Amino acid sequence: MDFAAAHAGFVIAAYGLSLVVLGGLSAHILLRDRRLRAAARRLDGERGDTRA
Amino acid sequence: MTMQYLANPTRFLRLANALLPYLWALTAGLLVIGLYGALVSSPPDYQQGETVRIMYVHVPAAWMALFVYSVMALASAAALIFRHPLADVAAKTAAPLGAAFCFLALATGSLWGKPMWGAWWVWDARLTSMFVLMLLYLGYMAIWAAIEEPHRAAMVARIVALVGFINVPIVKFSVDWWNSLHQPASVFRMDGPTIAAPMLWPLLVMGLAYTFLFLSLHLVAMRAEIAARKIRQIQIAEIGER
Repeated sequence: MDFAAAHAGFVIAAYGLSLVVLGGLSAHILLRDRRLRAAARRLDGERGDTRA
Repeated sequence: MTMQYLANPTRFLRLANALLPYLWALTAGLLVIGLYGALVSSPPDYQQGETVRIMYVHVPAAWMALFVYSVMALASAAALIFRHPLADVAAKTAAPLGAAFCFLALATGSLWGKPMWGAWWVWDARLTSMFVLMLLYLGYMAIWAAIEEPHRAAMVARIVALVGFINVPIVKFSVDWWNSLHQPASVFRMDGPTIAAPMLWPLLVMGLAYTFLFLSLHLVAMRAEIAARKIRQIQIAEIGER
């Protein structure tokens, strides 16, 4: 890739945008998964304690 | 493995947890190879120059936008016909991923269109039908967000997903059915691809990388949605016990 070529800025913008959108979405999904699974485990544990 | 076997969320989660490390590894490997092909080994186009490299992120995003909507429609049909307990989860969690790919297809297409066509946007058949697909994704997600009662939200969302599926072949064949500024299909053609091999392989590898990225993220998002539903059930049970 020739970064000095005409319109190279459009190419960099396209790859940068793809990285930001897909990276951001991946981070959001992974963090949501971690948070919800931890909350479900905690609630499950609390219910177990209450019943016991 | 039957669909009924995976209807059990525990079995599904066991399978997803076992598959995810391999899917992430495949995604990372394919992305590295694909980006090497896209940015280093493939030649510039004789007419478009370096701008052609936008193709390697634009085209896979557009493929995925159509593929993910098809997954959503298929899952919605499975929910409606077979009452598969995970089908709504699959459809609901696929939508934000499809919307992201659709947004990327539109945005990177715009970044490719400006230097090549001289315009960021034209109301051409392919671009307009792709824009409609974006609106369908947003509408589908809005239904899940707006309707509080989950069964009613699921029913309305299934119908919207299935009715909206009619737009998928319209996007695909728009360049054949109408005069379009957008170029016709050059990979999935009856007479074979018309792209030179040094450009074709990075495009296909990037397509595979995006597919495995979707599969990985979809499984994680489904796992999170199953946890969210479990939390809701526990909270409802607790209210009932009081």
